[in-house]
Amino acid sequence: MTQTDTYDQLPDTSPMGAPLDWAWLRGAKSEWGVHPKPSPRGLTMLDIAVGKYGEVPEHPAHRSMAPRGADVDPDTVDMGYILNRKSDVWAENTRELYEEAVARQWSATRDIPWGELEELPDDVEHAMCQLCTVLTEVEMIAADLPAKWMWRMNHDFIEAKMFLCTQIMDEARHAEVFRKRALSNGGGLLISRSGSTSLLRTIMEAKTYTQATALLHLLGEGFVLDIFRMGELIAPTDVEKRIFRMCMQDEARHVAYGTMHLRYAVEHDPDVAEEIHEALDHGESVLVDFGTAPDISTALAMLLAGGAEHVEDKGFPLAQELSTKQFTSYLARCERAGISRLERTTIPLELLGIDPDTIRAAGAAA
Amino acid sequence: MDVDRISFFNALAIEMNAHPERYQVLGDADMSALIVMNGDASFCVRVDFEELHCAGVHQAEPDDPADFSLVGDRDAWQAMFDDIVAHGRATGLQTINSLALLGDRIACGGTDPMGLDKFSRFNQTLQEFFDGAARTAVPA
Repeated sequence: MTQTDTYDQLPDTSPMGAPLDWAWLRGAKSEWGVHPKPSPRGLTMLDIAVGKYGEVPEHPAHRSMAPRGADVDPDTVDMGYILNRKSDVWAENTRELYEEAVARQWSATRDIPWGELEELPDDVEHAMCQLCTVLTEVEMIAADLPAKWMWRMNHDFIEAKMFLCTQIMDEARHAEVFRKRALSNGGGLLISRSGSTSLLRTIMEAKTYTQATALLHLLGEGFVLDIFRMGELIAPTDVEKRIFRMCMQDEARHVAYGTMHLRYAVEHDPDVAEEIHEALDHGESVLVDFGTAPDISTALAMLLAGGAEHVEDKGFPLAQELSTKQFTSYLARCERAGISRLERTTIPLELLGIDPDTIRAAGAAA
Repeated sequence: MDVDRISFFNALAIEMNAHPERYQVLGDADMSALIVMNGDASFCVRVDFEELHCAGVHQAEPDDPADFSLVGDRDAWQAMFDDIVAHGRATGLQTINSLALLGDRIACGGTDPMGLDKFSRFNQTLQEFFDGAARTAVPA
């Protein structure tokens, strides 16, 4: 005798006369008896990806908020999702990155040694505040954009949506930490130019989520990741070093998701490659305008030089060198994502001293 | 302080594992790093990290599998650790991210793009591990 047989005596109506439904107890078709084993760190999303609960369908049967693996009512409401193919949003590293994001959250209030901030020379403080102004402005796009698309994603892709939730939290923290830095050392928020907003608008107005991901994760966040890496290098005190390193870790997760999502998308739907290229054709030119905008390029050069005195002989040459590394990193990521830009990009490779063979090697290694 | 010794990296591992509270705020980190020091006698060590711990330190070869490798002259590594010991943590251009970003003294490489990403994703953990040189009595 099975255990459910013992429930035959359960009533059909409530004491108030309302009809009762015991189907969840007697006959749900969902999988029963799974026993995922917790890993040493606890029960992770990877651990519970077992049986049909772990199978992410290429084309989900429903467009409801029913949890994947549940026994879903056939007449459940359509939520109006438009991203209903797995290749629209998925990346092979989604679950891993979600767990990593949850485990590595930090606090801009508590985990930055604000008490160790030092009074800086006026030119350096201004440059840091200008950089923080730009970063405070651009970081929230990586929260706004997923928010724009998440409610259109099929709920069977719950892990991808959960990861994007962590990204939104990360970006809120980045906006917070750069705003705090700008205001905390005798400076303040400085100049916001139209170039930043043009870049952000280009990303926000992408026609598809995959185009949006190419513009945001691969191009925009990849570029900002390199600014964070550079920021740690040029930070005038340990406080800024810590800020940039912590932000760098978060940003690298976002770039890792975007790179692997685009790779998954292109592998499962090669036609999407042209769509991505079109977005990047436009995005690259806007990004170059943003990256070479007089305010951010001068602020970075000032920080790289350690002050106004050596901005020409040290700041700009080093900025040029790092700019080459930024574009090299971006093009290598494109190769890894399966979207080689070498034959198509208008980025002046020769002028920047970028060797296409080095980029191709990065792609071949992937 | 001789940095091209397994005993040196074992000491860093012991320091990390004795103070998980330093790493708790950073969160779990799963990565393997190959540290290669070139010089008269090359030295290579693989360091494995799991969750909040250093799970292993092993003598290795430069082409052994790992998420990423950090390759530089022994002098560059010595200078980095000397700076850490002198200041209590890496300063200026002697952080591992700064060195790898400039890439002229210590370069970060790898064949797996997702592995290579881990250098950035777990950078603060790696820096904290190296900074441990300032907190431990490293063997001479």
